[in-house]
Amino acid sequence: MQLLWLIPALPLLGFIILVFTKGQLPREQARLVGVGSVALAAAITLLVASDFYAQSDAQSSFTLVLWEWMSAGDFRAGFNLYLDGLSLSMLFVITGVGTLIHWYASGYMWDDPDYSRFFAYMNLFVAAMLMLVLADNLVLLFLGWEGVGVCSFLLIGFWYQDPVNGYAARKAFIVTRAGDTAFAIGLFLLFKELGSLHIQELLQLAPAQFTVGANTPTLIAALLLGGAVGKSAQLPLQTWLPDAMAGPTPVSALIHAATMVTAGVYLIARCHNIFLQAPDILLLVALIGLVTLLMAGFSALNQNDIKRVLAYSTMSQIGYMFFALGVGAWSESIFHLFTHALFKALLFMTAGSIILALHHEQDIRAMGGLRKQLPVPFWCFLIGTACLVALPPTSGFVSKEAILNASWQLPVYGPWLWAGGVFGACLTALYSFRLIFMVFGGASTCQPDEPKGWQFHPPLLILAVLSLLGGLLVLPAAGVLPTSPAGHAPLWAEVIAIGLPLAGIALAYQIYGRGQWQHLRQAPRLSHWFEHGWGFDSLYQRLLVQPLLTLANINKSDLIDQLPIQLTLVSSRLFAIFSRMQNGQLRIYVASMTAAAIFIIALTVTL
Amino acid sequence: MDWQQLLALTPVLLVASISVMLMLVIAFVRDHLLTCVITCLGLGGAAICSLVSVGEMAQQVTPLLIIDDFSRLFGALVLLICLISAWMTYPYLQATDEIREEYYILLALAALGALVLIASNHFASMFIGLELVSVSLFAMVGYLAHSRDQVKLTLEAGVKYMVLSGVSSSFLLFGVALVYAYSGSLTMDVFSQPANAVLAPQYLILGTAMIAIGIAFKMSWVPFHMWTPDVYQGAPAPVTGFLAGGVKIAVFALLMRWLMPIQGPYLGILANGLMAMAALSMLLGNLLALRQDNLKRLLAYSSIAHMGYAAITLIAAINIGNLSPTLAAEAAGMYLLTYATVTLLAFTVLSHLAAQDLTYETGQLQHYQGLLWRQPIAALGLLIAMLALAGMPLTAGFIGKYYVFMAAVDQQLWLLLWLLIIGSAMGLYYYLRVILILCKDTQQAATNSYRGLNPLIILLALLTLWLGIYPSPSIAWVQLALAGF
Repeated sequence: MQLLWLIPALPLLGFIILVFTKGQLPREQARLVGVGSVALAAAITLLVASDFYAQSDAQSSFTLVLWEWMSAGDFRAGFNLYLDGLSLSMLFVITGVGTLIHWYASGYMWDDPDYSRFFAYMNLFVAAMLMLVLADNLVLLFLGWEGVGVCSFLLIGFWYQDPVNGYAARKAFIVTRAGDTAFAIGLFLLFKELGSLHIQELLQLAPAQFTVGANTPTLIAALLLGGAVGKSAQLPLQTWLPDAMAGPTPVSALIHAATMVTAGVYLIARCHNIFLQAPDILLLVALIGLVTLLMAGFSALNQNDIKRVLAYSTMSQIGYMFFALGVGAWSESIFHLFTHALFKALLFMTAGSIILALHHEQDIRAMGGLRKQLPVPFWCFLIGTACLVALPPTSGFVSKEAILNASWQLPVYGPWLWAGGVFGACLTALYSFRLIFMVFGGASTCQPDEPKGWQFHPPLLILAVLSLLGGLLVLPAAGVLPTSPAGHAPLWAEVIAIGLPLAGIALAYQIYGRGQWQHLRQAPRLSHWFEHGWGFDSLYQRLLVQPLLTLANINKSDLIDQLPIQLTLVSSRLFAIFSRMQNGQLRIYVASMTAAAIFIIALTVTL
Repeated sequence: MDWQQLLALTPVLLVASISVMLMLVIAFVRDHLLTCVITCLGLGGAAICSLVSVGEMAQQVTPLLIIDDFSRLFGALVLLICLISAWMTYPYLQATDEIREEYYILLALAALGALVLIASNHFASMFIGLELVSVSLFAMVGYLAHSRDQVKLTLEAGVKYMVLSGVSSSFLLFGVALVYAYSGSLTMDVFSQPANAVLAPQYLILGTAMIAIGIAFKMSWVPFHMWTPDVYQGAPAPVTGFLAGGVKIAVFALLMRWLMPIQGPYLGILANGLMAMAALSMLLGNLLALRQDNLKRLLAYSSIAHMGYAAITLIAAINIGNLSPTLAAEAAGMYLLTYATVTLLAFTVLSHLAAQDLTYETGQLQHYQGLLWRQPIAALGLLIAMLALAGMPLTAGFIGKYYVFMAAVDQQLWLLLWLLIIGSAMGLYYYLRVILILCKDTQQAATNSYRGLNPLIILLALLTLWLGIYPSPSIAWVQLALAGF
């Protein structure tokens, strides 16, 4: 347990080494530092976990006090790490999946001239993300939160030579910043109301001091939700995620699928008692999740870039997690986070292999028939897709069925929410298998050149096995979170929940596999609209960006700037005047001295 | 005078004996290094003597001098400043074609004057100390009168300083006479004495004002500042360093002893007068420095502004008007300490550069272009000095300015506070301009192997940073000095 601090410290050390060698390190050593530090962190996570399981029941927790970070008046924030079932679950995801992705990336990025810079950013990201989940107070959590934001910015814009990537990076950063601002205000308000930002204290204080449904907890929960929504790319701050695919594919796998984007889910789960005091907001969480998952599903159906399809599917799956949080299925949500991290990382990395094999071709219309040519990626992708679609008995099935089942239990809205979720599952099946049929089915149209070697296949295969079997694992998170609604949906509902995705697959086969029912593909207006993310980008462009630019244009010669401008003008004038007095002539000096003296004497005598 | 008192005077006597000894040594052997080492050893020894006796009883030695912890600690500070000044003079004089050894006699005499000044609580000793410093400085400023390169500037500066200093001293002397006429005494605490005089109290306040005029000249407060840029520019760089970082400290210490405990009905007039001078100094000093093209002139104007800042602490202390070591006194002490360090750093770099090439001293700022790449140590030293003068955090300058700020807020001197802020903003412009020029790369010149004053530059730069990062020891030091007030 005492080794806990090493888990974030090791990737940070890796970052420091890689930064201070300024990219002078040979590739082999950079790889050793970059991958090794995360792998070591994963090993220590296992050590810590075995300790954790050995000494404790599910409820227990462990705090490692490092040092006092800041203290001002009543405000105190320690640099303390906190480990319980929830953060341990997140540690598994971050270090475990993180190691596999780093491993894969060490091959994927091998030819990049900035190899060492890439791993420096990746290590910093892992360190920040670990800080985020291990923080025992919200200030430290915020440090990690902003840290992962910065790394996301740096990695999306990793190939900054292309201005498009820079734009995508800025967009991601600015859009999430909107959410972070709300989050920060929420923190201020929390401190004002409860006098603490220590998470465990807050969880005790919130039910004691707030009345359920009152304005204050609702406002605080709404502000925290704002932060979560920005980070996790949910409505209405979802626009940055598809563009974030401009980064290298391992980055998309690690940051924009497995870890960072799920930070919002973690935040809400972590602050569950605050959200429980605001049932309205909790319902809003469910609705946001539901609407996002449906909208992202429709968008995914109309994308032609393989990574953008996966990006929208990530958005949609995080929608499921929000949906689960909203309906009170706390531990199911975290479980889905876990399984999603496994299979979505698998999907992204497989997609990365395909992209490499096709020499950076990402358009699925240019692919086809790759099943024979790329057997390993094909099977891995198929397994990942099966999980995504929640086909039994994959891990995705276990976690998603649990969520849908819990939503059924919710009074009043339950069945409606359930119906939306099931429809979303059908949509997922449709767009996922569209991808399968378009990429792997049909006649072969290209000559792939598959990357092979110990950096490519082993991580994929490990993840594929984990994705298949992940449903059998029991996460330690359950003991920390509120209990989920018990009971089962009726049998017919379960049959529909399993059957509709199968119907979706059949439909996909009919349209994209066999090429029937082409009129369903021909809805140009609508599909164009879907393809561009329901027009949110142009909406925000018109609603926010343009007015701001107009205002900025009007105020180009800033009125307030006039003050400093005038100050400089006046200063330089005065300088000219006074330096003329400083002419170096002794008689002037003596005269001015005497004059001043006489003036002073006259004043003192008359006063 | 008993043994106790003689013992208390040891540092003063030691410094006095240096000059005598130097004269004797020079009569037999002319050796630049030897004279410099003797001076440094003597000054260092005197400083140690002073420091060792800290904490002992305060001694009034004759009516003229008081040796308390304030005298001891500030005396030690000024002695160390003189030591550093002697150190930076060595390579500078080595590079000139002037007779070198006699300079150190003058420096020792000036150090003696400064010591007397700090320890005086009597107008007679004050005048002696002040004149001892000034007369030595006339010669020091004009020391290079036979040097081919600098004769014109240095002579002009020396003569100017002498004439103007004479004028100011005449005011001061007349002021002392008026105070004596009023109170019948020359001790400095006349204000606290009950007035049993026949003359109207105006005589006292007039006398005080005229003494203040004389001292304002030494502090180069506006409107008595006209000499500063010309003398700073004309004097050899180490002398300018001593003038800015040493003499100002000693005179200000005297002001602290004289004015901070002052009480009486005329405080308002005195405070207002000082306030006007401080305000004008801050404004004019910064304004005139804005587009200066010679580094020494720029530093001269900057020192005018900085003395304006320092005056704020004095005004705050007068406003309080009690004897206890207040925040204002602490601020004054800290300001002097940090300002001396930073100024010495700047002038050490200047001396170091001027020893190699005189154009650094006399020429325009353009000459410093890309210095960071040619002479990294010297340029970094100058860079740190500029940052510190601008009051950047993590440097000594920040601590000093912060204290002044606190003192002004504490006494609610809002006008001065605003001028301090505006002045600091203007200051940033010209300090950063120097840094910009230092960093600007023009030609890939070969790195210079001249070592010169590098050790001293590194020492002072580290001290500047240390004072800024970890000021507690120096604060404790100042509090110790003020405890015996």
